[in-house]
Amino acid sequence: MSIINKLLNIDQRIIYAALFIALAYPILSPVMLPMDIQGYSQQAFDFSDSIPEGSIVIFEGGLGAATYPQGGPGMVVQIYHMLTKGVKIVFFSIGTEQNFWTVRAIETALGKLPPGTPAENGVDWVHLGYVAGGEAGVGSLVNDIRATITSDYYGTPIDDIPLLEGVNDASSFAAVLWWGGSEGSMPYGIRQISVPFGIPITGMSTTNEVPNFSPYISAGQLQGIFGGVRGSAEYEYLMRLPGPALGQAMATNFGGLLWMILVILGNVFYFIQRTRGEE
Amino acid sequence: MDAAVWGLLAGSAISLGAYSVLIGDNPISKLTENIYMGILGGYIFATNWDFIQKNAITKVAGGDYVYILSIILSIMLLGRLKSEYLWVSRYPVVLTVGVGLGLAMRTSVMADFLGQIQATLLPWTSLNNLVMVIGTVTAAAYFIFTAQSSGAYKYVNTAGRVFLLSAFGVTYGQTVSFRFELVIGRLVAMLDPRVANYTYVMILIIAVVLIFGYTTKRIVWYSGR
Repeated sequence: MSIINKLLNIDQRIIYAALFIALAYPILSPVMLPMDIQGYSQQAFDFSDSIPEGSIVIFEGGLGAATYPQGGPGMVVQIYHMLTKGVKIVFFSIGTEQNFWTVRAIETALGKLPPGTPAENGVDWVHLGYVAGGEAGVGSLVNDIRATITSDYYGTPIDDIPLLEGVNDASSFAAVLWWGGSEGSMPYGIRQISVPFGIPITGMSTTNEVPNFSPYISAGQLQGIFGGVRGSAEYEYLMRLPGPALGQAMATNFGGLLWMILVILGNVFYFIQRTRGEE
Repeated sequence: MDAAVWGLLAGSAISLGAYSVLIGDNPISKLTENIYMGILGGYIFATNWDFIQKNAITKVAGGDYVYILSIILSIMLLGRLKSEYLWVSRYPVVLTVGVGLGLAMRTSVMADFLGQIQATLLPWTSLNNLVMVIGTVTAAAYFIFTAQSSGAYKYVNTAGRVFLLSAFGVTYGQTVSFRFELVIGRLVAMLDPRVANYTYVMILIIAVVLIFGYTTKRIVWYSGR
C-alpha cells in the first residue's frame, strides 16, 4: 500500500485526537487571531441598539446544555444590552431544558449589570418559564398570555406582575428577540409573532442553522442574526464586554484551519490516487 | 467545594464518558448515555408535569372546566403505552397536528413564500443582486424534472447545480464549525482551572479501564474504520 493510500485510510481516531489537540490548545493557551464583524451580526446589533428605551420586548430562550456554551455568552450580552438601555424583557422558553439555561443567562446578566441599573424581577423583566406546545404554544401565548399560563417561572400569578399590567398579547411588544440555538424554531417567531403582529425580529441560532435563516434576512423578515459562538463573540466585542465567547471563537478558528487542511489534503491525495489508477 | 465545581466535575465525567465512544462502543460510553437519558427524561417529565399542574389542573380546580378537555386529551396520549389502546392516542395526536398545521399555515404563505419571492425581485444593479436572482432562478429550474436537459436549458441546469452545490458547501462548512463549537463548549468546562486536574485524572482512569478491557478481551475492540 502506497503512502497516499495509507493516508487516505488513516484511522479516524487519529483525526479525532488531532482535532482534540487543535481545539484544546487555544483554550489552554489563549491566542487572538484577527476577526471581522460579520454583516448579519452588525445588522442584529444595530437593530437591538435601535429598540427605544422603555419599550417591552419578548425574548425566547432556546439554548440547551449543548448550545449554551456558544450562544450563552451572546444571550447574556443581549440581556445586558436591553436592561442597560432601559428596555423591559418578557422571557419564555419552548423547551424544558432550555428553560433552565434561560434562567442561568438571566442570572449571569444581572450579575454583570453596572450598579444602579434598574433590573427588578416583575418590573424590568419577567420570565414566563416553559411554554409547552411548540409553535402552537407560541401562537397561543402571544395571542392570549393569561389563557396560556397562570404564573411566571417563580410562581408569581400573572395578574400580580406589574410589567404585564395591560399586556396580554404580542401587540404590546416592540421587538422579538429569538435565541433559538439549534431548535430551528426561529420561523415560529416569524410566523406567529413577527408577521401577524408586524413586529421586527432578530436573534441567534447555531452556526449550522444560519444558512437556513439567511433567506429571511434577505427578505427583511429577520433583522440580522448572531450565528453561533462567533456571533456571540462579535456581540461581546461590539458591546465592549469581553467574555468567554471571544476565546472560544479563536478555538473554532484553529479547528477550522485543521479541518480545511485535512479536506484539501484528502482531495489532493484522492486526485493523485485516481491519476495513478489506484483503487 | 461549592455546587458549581461539583456541577463542572459531573459534566466533565459525563462528557469524557460520552466522548469515549470515539474510541469504540464501550461500557463507559453506554453507562454515560443511559445516565444522561435518564436524567433528561426525568427533567422533561417534571417540567411538563409542572406546566400541566399550573396551567390546567389549577384552572380546573378554580372552576375553569373547559381545561378538563385538555387533561382528558393528555391522558388519552398515554394509550400509546399499550398496543391495544394505541388508537385512543391517535385522536389527541391528530388534534395537535391539525392545530399546529393550521397555525403555521395561517402566516406561512406570507413568511415562507411571498416574502421570499419578493426578496428575489431585485434590481440588477450589483453583483450580490445578480447572484441572488440568477442563483434562485437556476436552482429552482434544476428541479423541473419534466424538461429535457439539452440545448440552452442544459446551461441553466448546470448553473443551478453549481449554485446548489455551493449552498451545500456552505451548509457543510457551517455544520463542521457548529460541531467544533459543541466540543469547544465542553472543553471549556472540562478544562476550567478549578476542575482541569480532575479531568486529566478521569481521562487516565477511562484510558486504564479501556486498555484493561481491550487487552483482556472483556471489551470487544471497535473494528470499523
